[in-house]
Amino acid sequence: MSDAPFKNPGWAGNTGEFDLTEADVRGTEFVGHRPPEGGHPAAAPSYPYMLADKAPDAPLFEGPYKERLEKIRGRYPNARAVLLPALNLAQEIRGHVSPETMDAVAEELGLASAYVRGVATFYTMYNKRPVGRHLIQVCTNISCNLCGADEVLAAFLEHTGTEMGETSADGNFTVVEAECLAACGFPTCVQINSRYFENVNEADVPQILDRLKSEEGEG
Amino acid sequence: MAYPYRHEKEVRLLSEHFGDLEARTVEGWKARGGYEGLARALEIGRERVVEEVKTSGLRGRGGAGFPTGLKWSFMPKDQTRPHYLLCNADESEPGTFKDRELIRWTPHQLLEGCLIGAYAIGASHCYIYLRGEFFEATQVLARALEDAYDANLAGKDVLGSGVDLDVTLHVGAGAYICGEETGLMNSLEGRRGEPRIKPPFPAAVGAFGMPTTINNVETLCAVPGIVKNGGDWYRQWGTEKSPGTKLFCVSGHVNKPGNYELPLGFPLMELIEDVCGGVRDGNALKAVIPGGSSVPIMTAEECSACSLDYEGVVECGSMLGCASVIVMDETADIVKQVRRMAYFYAHESCGQCTPCREGTAWATKILERIEDGRGTEEDLDTLLQIGDQMTGTTICVLSDSLAAPVRSSIEKFRDEYLALIRRGERVGAA
Ligand SMILES: Cc1cc2nc3c(=O)[nH]c(=O)nc-3n(C[C@H](O)[C@H](O)[C@H](O)COP(=O)(O)O)c2cc1C
Ligand code: SF4
Repeated sequence: MSDAPFKNPGWAGNTGEFDLTEADVRGTEFVGHRPPEGGHPAAAPSYPYMLADKAPDAPLFEGPYKERLEKIRGRYPNARAVLLPALNLAQEIRGHVSPETMDAVAEELGLASAYVRGVATFYTMYNKRPVGRHLIQVCTNISCNLCGADEVLAAFLEHTGTEMGETSADGNFTVVEAECLAACGFPTCVQINSRYFENVNEADVPQILDRLKSEEGEG
Repeated sequence: MAYPYRHEKEVRLLSEHFGDLEARTVEGWKARGGYEGLARALEIGRERVVEEVKTSGLRGRGGAGFPTGLKWSFMPKDQTRPHYLLCNADESEPGTFKDRELIRWTPHQLLEGCLIGAYAIGASHCYIYLRGEFFEATQVLARALEDAYDANLAGKDVLGSGVDLDVTLHVGAGAYICGEETGLMNSLEGRRGEPRIKPPFPAAVGAFGMPTTINNVETLCAVPGIVKNGGDWYRQWGTEKSPGTKLFCVSGHVNKPGNYELPLGFPLMELIEDVCGGVRDGNALKAVIPGGSSVPIMTAEECSACSLDYEGVVECGSMLGCASVIVMDETADIVKQVRRMAYFYAHESCGQCTPCREGTAWATKILERIEDGRGTEEDLDTLLQIGDQMTGTTICVLSDSLAAPVRSSIEKFRDEYLALIRRGERVGAA
């Protein structure tokens, strides 16, 4: 984003020629607040589940979350199909999906524990162990790679002082390599929790980290 | 400027309202002619909707290019069991970035396409399977869907027609293979996203064991215009066998990467040179992958006379796939990029089939060795042999999808491999 002449409809701090605001691009104003109990059941399985604030020991499926789970159940012909939405919800609350969490989900849905583990471990977005407040996933697949993604990844590791996959001492950052994020025209694309940062250059990295530190409870 | 990816040669049937914030609201979408296709569909009845889509010649935009109307006509006519429409919004083929744009800028276009598609195949429920990473686009779609329910465009008795049409958003959890249609069905059902053996085909036994049709986001987004204006209208663009327009996702070493909507049959070099402002820094073109990482790589020479329609790209030695054009200039390091692709497929293989599980892993190890300067010339033969063993031998085509770039790159860019093997020289830096 620093000196590239042509800007993208993603967001990496400024959009240059592109005259919409970040909120416009991300759609945050249009979306507004989504209540924890779920709005219309049709959209109840669609909440972000990578958030900065995590409560690893919080109860699952109580209060508004119970209400949302019931709405979700009503959208599928059987309990098994509720498994991914339920795991998403569990990660939204706790920040990662531990074996204990998998067992709790299994019990809630009447599925075997071993089955739930088999499914949960198939999917990369379930954090099997705790991650930092900000999980930084740098795409290094072909389109980003052609445009310097390896350097961007190295810069994130350097500026957070971490090794790949490890969490920084202050608990703020975990940096990992990601596969194609479907933003190939806007390299390098970096997913940080639920947001995309696009057109990221090596030089942008310190500014992005500062911004993350200054944001309270951003997801 | 609201949306920077614009070019006068575009024909924007689907992308006209990108960057136009009002298009996200029901009222705004209606003011732009939206939901007229849905109203017309409910008026003319499902058989005629299928006929219009057949007439249009619309082909699936998810990669395979299968005619959409024909696919819909495979669904059983009797209504004794539930039917399902699945919208494939798992977009994860490296190089592809169109579906996210369609969802976040024109959510109602997609919802209208889903509603019409569900109606046409006799389904009362459509699940939109969104890749987990698309949180932001998904929130926009969620809001639009709630608005659509409020406006009686979805739910019970849609627009007073007596027809019930539900749409549910289903969010995945990170696995490329869930984009494969039967892997997606397993994932939707709460299983590991492992592809299923076909037959039975989804139209007979699909999601939840019921007759199912699955379509890509862009395919469904093209449907409202076709139903509203008629199938023949759509044929005024594109070629006889590949009618209509397509979003071309251009990435890599061009001056203006982005999504450009062009009639099918558009010349590849004109896309690169004119629409995308040419190769970056005035560099020479080295190679193009025209359809996402799963298709054979093309040399600059092969590109010169290539037209971008399903047939035209095959004639030039590759495939159109999802029209994800990855451009590499003279600085590109082919071996490194093929190694990166191999790593991707090894990471994403679901592991059910031995040729795929072992082939992707071994290809990655051998390519890493070559890249590190420890390779031998025999390694190239071994790679070609592995590629042969990986082709046509597995449940789904993920396996073939790695064999294609490996084989084509060795055949077309052997010199680059040999430079590394014989002299430890890297040809490119990027
Ligand atoms: C490994 C693999 C991954 C795929 N990923 C996607 C995807 O992300 N999105 C998509 O629409 N189709 C994807 N497909 C193609 C689908 O299987 C299917 O053909 C398509 O969704 C059908 O829709 P269409 O007829 O509208 O193109 C993939 C296929 C394979 C073999
Ligand atoms: S080809 Fe690979 S990805 Fe496809 S089913 Fe077999 S092992 Fe899984």
